[in-house]
Amino acid sequence: MSSWTSPAAIAVEDRLFRALAVLRIVVLVNAVALSVYRWDNFQRPTAGAACIVAMVAWTAFAIWAYDEHRRRTFLLLAADLAIAMALLLITPMVKGAGFSASLPGFWVMGALLAWSIHYRWLGGLVAGVLIAAADLFLRQEISQSDYGNAFLLVIGGPIVGFMCQSLQQMATERDLAERAAAAATERARLARVVHDGVLQVLALVQRRGRELGGEAAVLGELAGQQERELRGLIRAQESVDPDRQAETVDIVVELARLEHDGTVTVSTPGFPVDLPAATAHELVAATRACVDNVRRHVAEDAPVWVLLQASPDRVELSVRDEGPGIPAGRLDEAAAQGRLGVSESIRGRIADLGGTAELATGSFGTEWEFVVPRTSAAP
Amino acid sequence: MSETEASSTIRVMVVDDHPMWRDAVERDLEDAGLDVVGVASNGREALARFPAARPQVVVLDLQIPAPDGVEVTAEMVRQDPSVRVLILSASGEHADVLAAVKAGATGYLVKSASRDELLTAVRRVALGDPVFTAGLAGLVLGEFQRRSDEPTTDRDDTLTERETEVLKMVAKGMSYRQIADRLVLSHRTVQNHVQNTLRKLQMHNRVELTRYAIERGLDAE
Repeated sequence: MSSWTSPAAIAVEDRLFRALAVLRIVVLVNAVALSVYRWDNFQRPTAGAACIVAMVAWTAFAIWAYDEHRRRTFLLLAADLAIAMALLLITPMVKGAGFSASLPGFWVMGALLAWSIHYRWLGGLVAGVLIAAADLFLRQEISQSDYGNAFLLVIGGPIVGFMCQSLQQMATERDLAERAAAAATERARLARVVHDGVLQVLALVQRRGRELGGEAAVLGELAGQQERELRGLIRAQESVDPDRQAETVDIVVELARLEHDGTVTVSTPGFPVDLPAATAHELVAATRACVDNVRRHVAEDAPVWVLLQASPDRVELSVRDEGPGIPAGRLDEAAAQGRLGVSESIRGRIADLGGTAELATGSFGTEWEFVVPRTSAAP
Repeated sequence: MSETEASSTIRVMVVDDHPMWRDAVERDLEDAGLDVVGVASNGREALARFPAARPQVVVLDLQIPAPDGVEVTAEMVRQDPSVRVLILSASGEHADVLAAVKAGATGYLVKSASRDELLTAVRRVALGDPVFTAGLAGLVLGEFQRRSDEPTTDRDDTLTERETEVLKMVAKGMSYRQIADRLVLSHRTVQNHVQNTLRKLQMHNRVELTRYAIERGLDAE
């Protein structure tokens, strides 16, 4: 949507014109007060009084007219600028050729800023140049302050216009972003309903299939795989967080992927655990190596449990299986013989992360325990 | 009392908005000799039928039409503190499961659990035994960890070292028997530790709710 016509841009413009209405009154009071104070300067007091009445009347009309977006037509803006310039141009007739302060004075700001707000930097530039030209055109000699005022008009118009444009663009973008977020929330809500329905059916097929046996059991197994897959995806989706820095990864989601084949159970905290991407990937790779090792040495379908615990300064990850384990000293022996299978791939990875890897074996099975410090990941 | 005798008297209510599921669970429970005293397909129905049905165990789906499973759990436990709620959830979304357990649920299973796992869980829950999956134990551990990282925690509802140790082992998939062997404890003691962690979790929830009510001035009557 264009930042000229979007409702948010129009709302910004409305606000700016309301602020301008206040400014118009301030500069009007200033112009009237200065004229009254220096009433002797008027060579034609009647004409001067008529001009002041015109300024007051136009200010009142302009405040009313600019209040509604649909009334801000080119005609209104052109009339606004024309009146400001006309008052400048008749100043020599009212005050005499050698006047010092123009009749409207700073009151011309109203028209200038209206152009800046409505026609942005280009409008501000056009109005600024025209008003400055009118002001300088009348003067017999141009003093330094006359030049300074003209310069400010030409510079100020476009700057204010540019800022108005930026505000309107930002408001339009924010409006779009808010609507996109609302749509995403609604989509997520609908997705939950869809996912829940699908998960229910997959779980039911899996359960009944197992009970019926035969071909139904195969179907049930397939349903089970899909169910785990979908649950993993939902978890990954839940942790999509726009605030996360690109170089960190939620290791909870990464570990959950290990559950896909159905023999690994992953237990984690209920909150995201963000780690630097490299650390997370190494930890997951080490965990995968442990799981593969169980596959090779225990059984293809042996159950494995993975537990992640996270505190602000470190993460603890343990991988347990119910296999007979590795006899004490067996790994070191293998390493000493130059065979660096498990030892290298698991201990090495964890040591590289500045952590420790312990292996325990007993009646409870075999358990690896990794402790890795969280350095740069701390919030 | 043998297990069959005990289970024949268990009064169960099944709450699930998917008719296929509700029927399957109901049939499994009845085939196993349990007494299904009520069914409901949404939160409103469940709460309306609960007082008359007086179940010992409620098998509850979390994602049901409003009020949702968490609210239903809280309300049922409020009306009858002796009721046991077993959550049966399809998606197993972390936040929901944790909220239900904090609200007073005694156990949690994913729907892909087998018929036998379900029956065992219902019987254990009826005896007041929490049914912790490894996944739930991980969530609860995380919750206590998060709490201990907050500076304002009251020390009386944190876990003891032994309780943490037991809960960790549950989260690593160890059975109570294996835990008892490894820690040289009785099976009953391990059960008590697990029960205590659940009690502390729920107590903390009540303390938080009360504090919230006092802050909001809801107690001024």
